[in-house]
Amino acid sequence: MRTSMTDIMKDHFQQGLDTAKRAGANAAKLTFYHGEGIKCRFEAGRLKDTGAREAVSYSIEVLVGRRRGNTSGNSLERIDDMIERAVTLAKIGSVAHFETYPVPDRLEKVRTYSERTLTLSREKMIEGCQEMVDLLRAYNPDLFVECSANRSESEQLLVTSGGVCHTARRTRWHLGASVQRTLDTDMLFAGYGRTWLDLNAFYDPSGIAEKIITDLRRAERIFESPKGRVIVYLPPEALARMLLPLFMGTNGRNVAKGDSPLANRLGERVLAPSVTIYDDPHQDYAAGARVIDNNGVPTRKQMIFHRGVLERFLYDLDSAGLAGTQPTGNNGCNPHSPRVLPGGQSSEELLSGIEQGLYICDLIGFGQSNIINGDFSGNVGLGYLIKNGKTVGRVKNTMISGNLYDVLRQNVLVSSDTEYEGRYPHVVIEGVSVSAT
Amino acid sequence: MKARLFEALNKSWADFTEIRVEREEGTHLAYRGREMDSAHCSVFSGGIVRACIRGGWGVIAFDSLEHVEKQVEEACRCAALVGKEKTELAEVQVIDAERPAKLQHDPRGVSTDEKIRLIREYNDIILAAHPSIESSGVRYGDSFRTVHFANSRGTYYMEERPRIYCAFYATARDGSLVQRTGDSIASAVTYDIAVGLEEKVLRVAERAVLLLKSPKVEGGPRTVILNRKLGGIFIHEAFGHLSEADFLYENPKMCDLMFHGRQMGAKNLNVVDDGSLDRTIGSLCFDDEGTPTRKTYLIKEGVLTGHLHSLETAAKMGATPTGNARAVGREHPPVVRMTNTFIENGNMSVEELFAEVDDGIYACDAFGGQTEFEMFTFSAGYGHRIENGQIGDLVRDVILTGNVFQTLGAIDGIADDLEIHESAGGCGKRGQAPLPVGFGSPHIRLQDIVIGGEQSGAV
Repeated sequence: MRTSMTDIMKDHFQQGLDTAKRAGANAAKLTFYHGEGIKCRFEAGRLKDTGAREAVSYSIEVLVGRRRGNTSGNSLERIDDMIERAVTLAKIGSVAHFETYPVPDRLEKVRTYSERTLTLSREKMIEGCQEMVDLLRAYNPDLFVECSANRSESEQLLVTSGGVCHTARRTRWHLGASVQRTLDTDMLFAGYGRTWLDLNAFYDPSGIAEKIITDLRRAERIFESPKGRVIVYLPPEALARMLLPLFMGTNGRNVAKGDSPLANRLGERVLAPSVTIYDDPHQDYAAGARVIDNNGVPTRKQMIFHRGVLERFLYDLDSAGLAGTQPTGNNGCNPHSPRVLPGGQSSEELLSGIEQGLYICDLIGFGQSNIINGDFSGNVGLGYLIKNGKTVGRVKNTMISGNLYDVLRQNVLVSSDTEYEGRYPHVVIEGVSVSAT
Repeated sequence: MKARLFEALNKSWADFTEIRVEREEGTHLAYRGREMDSAHCSVFSGGIVRACIRGGWGVIAFDSLEHVEKQVEEACRCAALVGKEKTELAEVQVIDAERPAKLQHDPRGVSTDEKIRLIREYNDIILAAHPSIESSGVRYGDSFRTVHFANSRGTYYMEERPRIYCAFYATARDGSLVQRTGDSIASAVTYDIAVGLEEKVLRVAERAVLLLKSPKVEGGPRTVILNRKLGGIFIHEAFGHLSEADFLYENPKMCDLMFHGRQMGAKNLNVVDDGSLDRTIGSLCFDDEGTPTRKTYLIKEGVLTGHLHSLETAAKMGATPTGNARAVGREHPPVVRMTNTFIENGNMSVEELFAEVDDGIYACDAFGGQTEFEMFTFSAGYGHRIENGQIGDLVRDVILTGNVFQTLGAIDGIADDLEIHESAGGCGKRGQAPLPVGFGSPHIRLQDIVIGGEQSGAV
């Protein structure tokens, strides 16, 4: 970062707390973000653009009595004006379910900043993307290949009237590729990417390309999908997407507002005993790593579903007040970095045990239905037929549907191996309704 | 601003350079359940420089104009690193224009108190509708975006793009069964669209309650009539995105598929994108490359006749720019996007459309939709059985899926009641969302469309 701005902003923000108080606020919170990044993008297998971005922004929250007002902006000259606008808004604004921001508490040490990530130059990113293009084109010269890479560095500042003054620095990179294979109206899309905060061995252009090539190889032939109740195999990326409705259910604000189907079910077994899901914001260099939430509440590693039993809802400061409970340090009541506990068998063993089933990588339309209830229905975008323990070819025109809670309450087998971050294993689900389209 | 932008452009040594600077101010208010849930005001400004050298682009986003000359130079350096071919960008007329907003009722003249009172009333209507209503949500927002654009060909414009929206949903519960319904409305013209929605709001709440007792629709191939909103989303998602030339211009296989002259549907099928429609939510005078917007026929009399273009895709495909290069905000480069996309009127009355259906589904509104080019999946907000030409019982979980090339050919009836929807949501592409777009259709009838879900006897 060319110039750190957080030291200057600390003084500004301490004065900002006084400005808010003078304007009539009984509590205030100010956050600041300053980030810089570089990127490159390949289109049709060729370098298309490269560029950079520098951005600052701030947000302000004030309490006037038991009401909140929020403003945000990026013009530093206008901070005082925006504080006063927040106070005006708070006088008629949203109901606050807390009176003060928490006092400073002990924070875990979690690494989110890596000097070596900053060594990732524009030239090196272009090289990495070119390597992916070359590998993918070597497999099939007719592929339409897109790749992108970016690297960023940022600093954040949180100052609250509770006494918290927390600064954090963060680095981050992303590398990914996607391909389109077109044979008349038969199209296939496959893609894969990785994000991490430290430039370690995860930054692996050839590994990313090989993963896509494996998907393309599996899809070389087309088979008809089995119908009815079918065993489904989900690789880690597909499992991560499928679990999103669960986190709408465990969202404490959804629970308190009556929108969650899991309300009043704490302590009940709602998933298969093989499924344990927890939130771990303390894994060094993970994309979701953080030690403190937006309100100054320390984050923590915490169980959400233990052996299928619903153990906890997640709460930010306001939602906890609404529900009459303690905040769990989760912004927006969402997990920072959810993880599924691995099981006992390897993914190869799980696959080899399936006589007939569907291997689903991508579901078109998942999340577009009455998802908060767990209902899903989607066309299999990329999926393979499993026969006698092996994937034999791609299935098309296949729809799966059901209710996620019903599906995950059945027998679920969880692999011992996970994807690169260690967050999601592979799973096999006993039976999902499959129909032809 | 104009002089400032041209002064900065003088620092460029690229084949082509443009600067777009924006300021956006917005207010967003929300009720959720029994309480006001959020009240937020924002003011952001910033911009982006794009430079093109030998066909390669350098793109620099910034928050302050203070160093814009340096950012122009940096964009040139980035472009020089990329470009190895020839810069090909279509020529369009040079513009020098200012297009202030023409608001009938400016939301900035309405007090925040009044806006809160309005959404509180809607929220109360939902909560009082039925004992099964568990929760509610009403959101109001207005934003005022001012765009200044200049490029190295001498074009300059200033355009104001206001937006006002109101969205509402109801959640009904019966044990662990939760049903959510919603609707929204938006305008680029007047605050008044947010006023007088009481009946609409009540209908949404009542439908959520009715859906609790409604059966799931039976899956399988069916005759389906799409209402105007779902028809509009269908044509936007399933066909409109395929027409965006940035998916085509460097992809010969896709060009082979989406060639002009290809038969896409019946002779009465006409599909249009029109960013020049008078002040709808998807309309704009100039796109974010300075090209005037216009009406483009994508399908005319059942035949593919047009694509949507930026300066680059038009030059490389030998076409005319259509004014469809759009950016969702100040930090994003323009990409090829739709504006207002719709199916034109057919010649059947709605009554005739229904009268010919003995057994089918009337699919209405949408939770959402997703497309992967030839395959699409849409989730209707709700549906009704059609029995002997009459609209029958309510059904839930109506998911439509299929292959767009087959499905456009399956349209066998187009009514004459086109309506263009302006909703609170927007379109997403390449990480840019939500872009305001209009979409519309008359009622359309499709044969043998697959409805997802468990088929009887299948499981």
